[in-house]
Amino acid sequence: MIRRTLARYGTALAGVALFAFFALGSPVFLTPDNIALILKETAFLGILAIGFTLALVTAEIDLSIAEVASLAAVVTGALVHGGTNPWIAVGAGLVVGTLCGAANGVAVTVLNVPSLIATLGVAAIAKGFSFMLTQGVAFVGRWPASFTNLARGTLLGVPNLIWWLAGVGFAAWLLVKWTRLGAHLVATGEADEAARLAGIRTRSMKRLALTLAGACAGLTAVLLASSLSSAAPAMANDHFLYAIAAVLLGMSMFEPGRPNIPGTLFAAFTLKVLGNGLVLLGAEYYWQDIVLGTIILVSVALSATGTGKAPFVKKLNFRR
Amino acid sequence: MTSLLSLRGIGMSYGAVTALRDVNLDIAAGEVVALCGDNGAGKSSLVKILAGAQAPTAGTIMLDDTNERFRDPQDALRKGIATIYQDLAVAPRLSIWQNVFLGSELTRPPFGLLDKRRMAEMSRGFLARLAVDIADMETPVERLSGGQRQAVAICRALRWDARIIIMDEPTAALGVKETAQVLDLIRRLHAEKHTVILVSHAMQDVVAVADRVVILRGGRKVEDRPVAGLTAGDLAAMIMQRAA
Repeated sequence: MIRRTLARYGTALAGVALFAFFALGSPVFLTPDNIALILKETAFLGILAIGFTLALVTAEIDLSIAEVASLAAVVTGALVHGGTNPWIAVGAGLVVGTLCGAANGVAVTVLNVPSLIATLGVAAIAKGFSFMLTQGVAFVGRWPASFTNLARGTLLGVPNLIWWLAGVGFAAWLLVKWTRLGAHLVATGEADEAARLAGIRTRSMKRLALTLAGACAGLTAVLLASSLSSAAPAMANDHFLYAIAAVLLGMSMFEPGRPNIPGTLFAAFTLKVLGNGLVLLGAEYYWQDIVLGTIILVSVALSATGTGKAPFVKKLNFRR
Repeated sequence: MTSLLSLRGIGMSYGAVTALRDVNLDIAAGEVVALCGDNGAGKSSLVKILAGAQAPTAGTIMLDDTNERFRDPQDALRKGIATIYQDLAVAPRLSIWQNVFLGSELTRPPFGLLDKRRMAEMSRGFLARLAVDIADMETPVERLSGGQRQAVAICRALRWDARIIIMDEPTAALGVKETAQVLDLIRRLHAEKHTVILVSHAMQDVVAVADRVVILRGGRKVEDRPVAGLTAGDLAAMIMQRAA
């Protein structure tokens, strides 16, 4: 009983302990402004990581999320910068992300390219288009408030970014845990052949999951551009390793060994707490990367230990 | 006795290779029919055809005197034929109820969300029909014994109210105790008037539960007779004799 509880909540408790450590170590850490800052930064990472989680639920990996988000941000930024109606620009960013995700899905399920390779290919293409559109120069400007409010505004006194994160997180959790479609996504990832024999359209499920991952990248892009009033190639790349770390760390809690939305969200928050806390304690910037890499290694090891099974990578479809 | 399932002139070819030739078979409702034969005899091809996993290249399938052609496994399932594959029957890390309702989950109004409680209750009921006692329906199937896993797979067939249940090597890789459990499950299905097609290499299992044995050799049906009075050794000899 205790062992099972520790397996499910041990990492989360470690996250709480980390939170307490920084709260004791820095007088600024627990201030409402700082907590809001951490939550807002969690929004970008969390939404991107939710997309990665959905792909992983079907045992596929999406390495294109950051480059796709950068391209979607560039497209959005270019349109806003050029004076296009901001809502059309937002729609375009979302469509670009979704289409890139759909391209990943087609490459994996129709062309039978392993997702590890297919998404790397799409990432490279997205990166190329980003530079083609910008010629390497960022779109920066005084953009309309109707656009920047998407990320910078508040609703009922709560920053919009937190609402976005809560909304996407809740929708993804509802989808995976409480809908038939979600059950089919999970079954596809857990036992592809058994699911197919039970009548589940497993290829469609993988296409859907990868498309949703692209859509999440698109939304992250729109919010990033809105928040920064700028759009540049590779602007989401800093979030890439963090998103993977959030998903892997999330797999070591709540449902050990499985990609799960609450775990991803909690882990994303914990990673941002870590980054924020280290800065407040005066740690050099490179410590964040060192700690991040360590977290990726430890979380995969933890998820393997928690389930008594090899970690998720064993389930990924490297062969077609 | 009228036939629930009738196969007439079933043939299956993979390019130049012929797996089944002119197979005729009648199975009555409530029968337990064992399908036996050496490797390459055509058992797997016949099971795939009945399961809807592939279409025959020749012949007709009559179910309740109606000519049927299964588009896919789901279509066969909808028409009352459930197949339990040896290794692929269950999703190990999913719970019992998730496995029982795999691909056919129940939802509840008004939002169409999963009705987990009802699925768990129904799964418990199906297991009770098979006299299998497992307390927690949230238990991942990987934590169950081999016999219990087969029971979960059978419950999926019961959930579909399948009239014909095809069991592909259900006791392969099972210990003595678990094999006995699985044979008991088949007896209970028999008692409930389900039709069972048992594909097995274990002749002692065939003798223990089957009413009739059908032996395939080189894609042809070479034997079709009641099991009563036969021993496992007799059946093995029949397969070997024909193979010689």
